[in-house]
Amino acid sequence: MTIKVGVGVLGLTLLAGALFLALSTRGQAAGPAQPIAFSHQIHAGQYKMDCQYCHADARRSEYAGIPSVSRCMGCHRITAADRPEVQKLAGFFNKNEPIPWVRIFKVPEYVYFPHKAHVRAGVTCQTCHGPIETMAVVEAKTGQTLANDLLNLVGLARTSTPLTMGWCVECHTTMNAKNKTKAPLECAICHH
Amino acid sequence: MNRRDFFKIVGTSAGAVAAAGCGQAPERILPHVIPPDNLVPGVPAWFSTVCRECPAGCGVIARNREGRVVKLEGNPDHPVNGGTLCIRGQAALQGLYNPDRLRGPIQRDTSGERSIKWEEAEKFLAERLADLVKQGRGKRIVVVGQLESGSLGRLMDAWAGALGAERLTYEPFNYEAIRHASRLVFGRDAIPHYALEDANAILSFGADFLETWLSPVQYARAFTRMHAFRDGKAGTFIHVEPRLSLTAANADEWVRNVPGTEGPLALAILKVILDEGIQAPGVDVALLRAAAKSADLEAAARQSGVGSETIKHLARAFAKAKPGLAIGGGVAATGADAVECQVAIHLLNYATGNTGRTVRFGPDSAFGKASPHAGMVALTQAMARGEVEVLLLNHANPLFTLPPKLGFADALKKVPLVVSFSNQPDETTERAHLVLPDTHPLESWGDFSPREGVVGLMQPTMGHVVDSTGRVFDSKAVGDVLLSVGRQVLPAPAGKGPFRWQTFAEYLKDQWRGIAREYSPATPFDQFWEEALRRGGIWKPVGAVPVQARGAPLSGKPATVEGDAQGLALLAYPSHRFYDGRGANIPWLQEAPDTMTQVSWDSWVEVPAETAKKLGLRGGDLVRVASPHGAVELPAYISDSLHPGAVAIPIGQGHTAERLRYAKDRGANPIALLSGQAAPAGLPFLSVKVTLTRTGGRRPLAIAQATHDQDDREIAQHVGLAAARELELRGAVPEKASHPSMYPDLKYPEYRWGMAIDLDACVGCQACVIACKAENNVPVVGKEQVAYGRDMHWLRVERWQEGKPAHPENLFLPMLCQHCGIAPCEPVCPVFAAYHTEEGLNAQIYNRCVGTRYCNNNCPYHVRRFNWWDYSSPTSRSYAFPEPLPLQLNPDVTVRQLGVMEKCTFCVQRIIAAKDAARDEKRPVRDGEIVTACQQTCPTQAIVFGNLKDMSSRVAKLSRSARGYHVLEELGTRPAITYLKKVTREPHKG
Repeated sequence: MTIKVGVGVLGLTLLAGALFLALSTRGQAAGPAQPIAFSHQIHAGQYKMDCQYCHADARRSEYAGIPSVSRCMGCHRITAADRPEVQKLAGFFNKNEPIPWVRIFKVPEYVYFPHKAHVRAGVTCQTCHGPIETMAVVEAKTGQTLANDLLNLVGLARTSTPLTMGWCVECHTTMNAKNKTKAPLECAICHH
Repeated sequence: MNRRDFFKIVGTSAGAVAAAGCGQAPERILPHVIPPDNLVPGVPAWFSTVCRECPAGCGVIARNREGRVVKLEGNPDHPVNGGTLCIRGQAALQGLYNPDRLRGPIQRDTSGERSIKWEEAEKFLAERLADLVKQGRGKRIVVVGQLESGSLGRLMDAWAGALGAERLTYEPFNYEAIRHASRLVFGRDAIPHYALEDANAILSFGADFLETWLSPVQYARAFTRMHAFRDGKAGTFIHVEPRLSLTAANADEWVRNVPGTEGPLALAILKVILDEGIQAPGVDVALLRAAAKSADLEAAARQSGVGSETIKHLARAFAKAKPGLAIGGGVAATGADAVECQVAIHLLNYATGNTGRTVRFGPDSAFGKASPHAGMVALTQAMARGEVEVLLLNHANPLFTLPPKLGFADALKKVPLVVSFSNQPDETTERAHLVLPDTHPLESWGDFSPREGVVGLMQPTMGHVVDSTGRVFDSKAVGDVLLSVGRQVLPAPAGKGPFRWQTFAEYLKDQWRGIAREYSPATPFDQFWEEALRRGGIWKPVGAVPVQARGAPLSGKPATVEGDAQGLALLAYPSHRFYDGRGANIPWLQEAPDTMTQVSWDSWVEVPAETAKKLGLRGGDLVRVASPHGAVELPAYISDSLHPGAVAIPIGQGHTAERLRYAKDRGANPIALLSGQAAPAGLPFLSVKVTLTRTGGRRPLAIAQATHDQDDREIAQHVGLAAARELELRGAVPEKASHPSMYPDLKYPEYRWGMAIDLDACVGCQACVIACKAENNVPVVGKEQVAYGRDMHWLRVERWQEGKPAHPENLFLPMLCQHCGIAPCEPVCPVFAAYHTEEGLNAQIYNRCVGTRYCNNNCPYHVRRFNWWDYSSPTSRSYAFPEPLPLQLNPDVTVRQLGVMEKCTFCVQRIIAAKDAARDEKRPVRDGEIVTACQQTCPTQAIVFGNLKDMSSRVAKLSRSARGYHVLEELGTRPAITYLKKVTREPHKG
């Protein structure tokens, strides 16, 4: 009896603490500081640029690809060349250095996620990456995080897609049932 | 909240606290500043080049992912290897990424060694050379290097010519006896091309053409075409050798002779042919009779221990083949009588009308361009006399490959400046005053011509190797160094002079203008060049040149072997895995077992059972092997099949260089037992008798396979030739009654992947084993773990033998996960890590696996491998991938961690890639599109993979073959792998 109460109290305390933690961080632009304050909201939102204009490898490779510095400079040699952030970009280009972007989206190393197959199947980028065109700073809390689990539990909307296996499988099964697609459900397709 | 959610929350909050405490640095993603053309991250790019692990010059295509080469495959268009590679070719990657590879130029003097800058090193060398050239002492500069039959060779000749220097081409195995004999018999200073595929019978005197002889991949391919039942010809292969080598084990008839009696035997066979009048019509019988004058059948039978009836039978079998092919080589044909032996072999071919048909002068082998061994002997003497002031070594390691008795080590001390271009810290490089590490062939421009009419083109398949800490392996191509140093020695205005090219790549392209004129004069050069780069070179058919046989006097005496009269003849033979020792520091090659003995990580002395009994030796007992010239100590391997008058030691191990972490102090080098004096046939590997003494110590060998006795389990099966023909005529045997199962029959909606392995084609070469390791990130575990039975090979080649232990029938069986339809491993997994996919794979999900090992215990094929140690983490003591080896890892395959089970996946990553490509075109996968790594590299194409549900696929047809069977069929596991029985020939009685 006492054990049960003990576990219950511990669980509730943790739940309360974690809920507080999750809610208090909600709504902040909590993405990490990037070397250049690049805004997806301006590029993909305001100017409605196609995602694959920059992330051009998504349709042909496992990786979506980060645009090369020269691709950025293709426009920014002229466009907004006087802005301080664009001048930072030009700085990297002139020094012949890559931009050390901080990685946001990542699945564990034992998972193979091919962008190509998803683009071919017509899955939108937002399905996994969230409403990226509205984000001035991209942030994501993926994986088995406390916030995701708690918000899920209490029935609140998630801050971002969790990119967990259950979430992947759910989409695959739903799509197969709804659209008669053949999204694979085989473990070895992603884990090999 | 249910229990599951509770644990999830508790678990994740603990994780969150832990993570918050660490404050990990964020992961960075770096884009290209300017992207390279046609390179997409995540999509492999292929570059064609040439394998330079031996002078066979096979064509290679290298798979480049994100700027690093992760896998080598044979170039399917190349005339030498036709898309396949041998074990050493597959392992070349670990030479490129070898952790002991030199990181930059080194200068050494009495005060020690230091790294120096390239400019400084080149200036230092140029000044010394310029001094000598100015004083007119250019002859005191000697360039010694491996066989370079392309532009680099020509540049070296030109360089030596301009400086007045001497140049030697040094190959430890140079087959000069064949060349010498060609000169005597046909007046051609060349090693011919042997068309094994066109012969109906091969009579080999010790030529180990499935292991190292001349061009092993090419000859293994050709051999299967003449020999495999599958291809319809089913020719006969007779092999004469005192030792049961891998090649001998593949022979239909292995004739064990007294070491050194190949010459008299060949001559006696010639005499029988002449006496019985079964020679080809139109040959000069008088000439042959004169040559065979001294032949004596009875004496040859007595000397060789081969009965005279057998000799007669060999003669008849060979003469009636029309055409047959006699070849000679290997250690047994490098004795004092080697030239005589090769002359007799040439005459045998002439007498039976094979010359011009299966023996072709014209497409001559590049080996004919290597300098004779006498050149090295003369060089050693000149060095000892102090006549050499600068010695430049290009990938030559004479301190390892020359017998110490020759005195090269002492002579080297007399040379004031020794320069090595090696990028490995080998024995000779360790003693060099200046080390100028060459780029690895996979990083280099170049070309190589393995035979007349074939020129392979090499291009860098990646940039210079940079390890994960950002340190570059600072190497420079030999050609670039020679040009730059040459310019400093002999200054000329820009664009003029003998060294006017800025880089070796420019020189190469210039050389190829000449090749373009020769091969394809109508094509514009730029187009020709681009096509050659894509194709991997240029080739054209070269016909056989007619040759006229001349008489050659033959004594018919066996080779003399010096040493204790009671001793045993030493067979020091080239290693299938390490060749002349150059591959010994490659961990994959160390871990791959020698097929015949199944020993890995060590070398051994093969002792005949009779002698072992006399000395009271057990396997693993240390034995001192002494000759008049030296002694080595090695663990014994007791052999039932070795000739009682011989002992055998493989060449390749016994390295002493400090920095060779995988090869140092491993085994012993039998070359130390030889005299090294020049014989007409080059370095005589068969020339001494040795005595054995038991030291009392023990060093058990790591032997992967405990027994070669099948014990009636019928794991590897065979069928006689006549029976196989009858089976074939009758068509497919009826479907075998399926063993009952308590599980419901499985349905495979689209594909069921399966494999067929033709044991009749498998020669046991182990290339598949290394191809699998390279493709699937399989770790190397070391001798102790192998000895403990914890090796990690996903695929192994088992050797089984039947019949008399002294003269067994050998069966090679590649064993890998059978992907059973009813798999014993699956139902016992408590966490669903081992499960059956809808396409018939026994999948193993590493991230689910908790390491109970139940699956392993329940697998009757013993193909599952457990990570007993942490091979994947850099901080672990067992870390299998020291820098820069991680660059080789296949990014499409997970690197497994401690405590998980792994096994063959049928290269599931290749299946996924092929399905992806098919889906792009909205079609199903076609037959032959998925090629597993083992299948891809197999020189004899013994392995076929595909969809068993498609009845027209090659694999489905083979699986229904009358020769097909499943290993341990009676267990009812319904494997997806069908083995095709080996086809044996009726043994000759007599």
